[in-house]
Amino acid sequence: MSKIVILGAGISGHVAASHLRRKLDKTHEVIVVSPNSNYQWIPSNIWVGIGRMKSKEILFPLAPLYKKKGIGFKQAKVTSFYPEGDSETEKPFVVAEYVSAEKKGETERITYDYLINATGPKLNFETTEGLNPGTNKTYSVCTYTHADHANEGLQALIAEMKKGKEAKIVIGTGHAKATCQGAAFEYILNVEQELRRQKVRDKAKITWISNEYKLGDFGMDGMLLSYGSNIMKSHEMVEMVFEDRNIDWILGAGVNKIEDGLAHYETLTGEYKTIEYDFAMLIPSFSGHGFKAFDKNNNDITDKLFKGFMIVDADYAPKPYEDWTVQDWPETYQNPNYQNIFAPGIAFAPPHSISKPRKSPNGTEIFPAPPRTGMPSGITAKLVADNIIDSIKNNTESLHHKGSMGNMGAACIASAGFGITKGSGVSITTFPIVPDYKKYPDTMGRKLGKTFGEIGLAGHWLKLMLHYAFIYKAKMRPFWYLIPE
Amino acid sequence: MTQRISKFKRFVMMNPIIQFFKFIFLSIKVLLIVAGGHGGTREVHK
Repeated sequence: MSKIVILGAGISGHVAASHLRRKLDKTHEVIVVSPNSNYQWIPSNIWVGIGRMKSKEILFPLAPLYKKKGIGFKQAKVTSFYPEGDSETEKPFVVAEYVSAEKKGETERITYDYLINATGPKLNFETTEGLNPGTNKTYSVCTYTHADHANEGLQALIAEMKKGKEAKIVIGTGHAKATCQGAAFEYILNVEQELRRQKVRDKAKITWISNEYKLGDFGMDGMLLSYGSNIMKSHEMVEMVFEDRNIDWILGAGVNKIEDGLAHYETLTGEYKTIEYDFAMLIPSFSGHGFKAFDKNNNDITDKLFKGFMIVDADYAPKPYEDWTVQDWPETYQNPNYQNIFAPGIAFAPPHSISKPRKSPNGTEIFPAPPRTGMPSGITAKLVADNIIDSIKNNTESLHHKGSMGNMGAACIASAGFGITKGSGVSITTFPIVPDYKKYPDTMGRKLGKTFGEIGLAGHWLKLMLHYAFIYKAKMRPFWYLIPE
Repeated sequence: MTQRISKFKRFVMMNPIIQFFKFIFLSIKVLLIVAGGHGGTREVHK
């Protein structure tokens, strides 16, 4: 009998738990430890943030589902890792502190045979002074509660605009090293369309602010893509959309301080500037959760497990940008020091950024961190689960399932406006996610045809279909496993 | 505002009938790319 403990119940953790439970018989224990009581389909937060979808439509409680499916659930947050056990507990374990009302504050040692760390990122608002969702007129759409607040702020502003107020709206990244530009890109287009729908677009000046060097970088160094019969760069495509929607942009901007209605930022040219706003949605930087790890003698071994995020089978050797290769990226997401620990999704430490690192003359690094959200999170979680299942069934370590982001496709179906007939979407697929410049030297490291862009109503329908399909899958309804990650 | 998308292109982008076929095409294409498999990179280049 094996006991598999999964930390986190987001896209990655929930995918791993679902597949493990489906493929392992009930003699094996599958336990999810998460401080969140609900599962949320994060990509639809964009629509919650403009009031076109209720937050209850994108979430459901985890406990009843897990009870029904035979998955253990502890609503608790992990604080420390003991991968060798200690003097009292022989087996490896994690220490978790309950957050649920009935057990709040209690701690428990949760032992495991296999551990999947799918804790995702910490939303590191505090690294940007004054960036706190719901204060200083800044908002976030990173969680459904943040998105609810953002919608309240937006609707209040729209009400004022209907009375004649001229408004400045700023959307983008709230830190020099933030990632997830895609979410901000979706939100700015949805806000723009919502203002048009509510007939106040002429009263708003909308500005995109981002740490990207060029538009359409998305933390993936941009891409060359097929667009109809044309081949264009992603920055040209995004530029076309922004110009067409009358959205201004500020690039190479590291936002470092927020005051009420003021965003202070440093540019790649070393200038310090400020932009005023009446409403801002700024994505924070992501970081690891600051977990601690100890060996059996209680010595601190945090650096064997973590490098901010969790260390996996990547090549972390420092080297110049020109020497980075796609082979540096992990394939199995296994910790090299403890073979029974894995970290799929956002929880693994990337070996380096995908976008070219850039510094201002003042020494501030301003460039996007690599994205691992959404589709890669699900795919890497499934392959980790499959390797654990094989290892248990074969009674020997099996790492046949591999999925490097350098050999994996991803689709970014970015909503550009909500509405069955008036909606729009920018559908972009990219293959591979991490560019392979040796394999595809003439197409910026990506395979054309598999890397393409489309704009139109169909994109909105596709994103809406994915919303319903993935919530169906997450609820583990009949044949859920036929829907790919 | 700079008009960067022509009226014809906009018509194509928003016409529900044309977009229905585009939706089918996109769904299949995305499915093939995403579910088309993934793997390692290290052996391939050895």
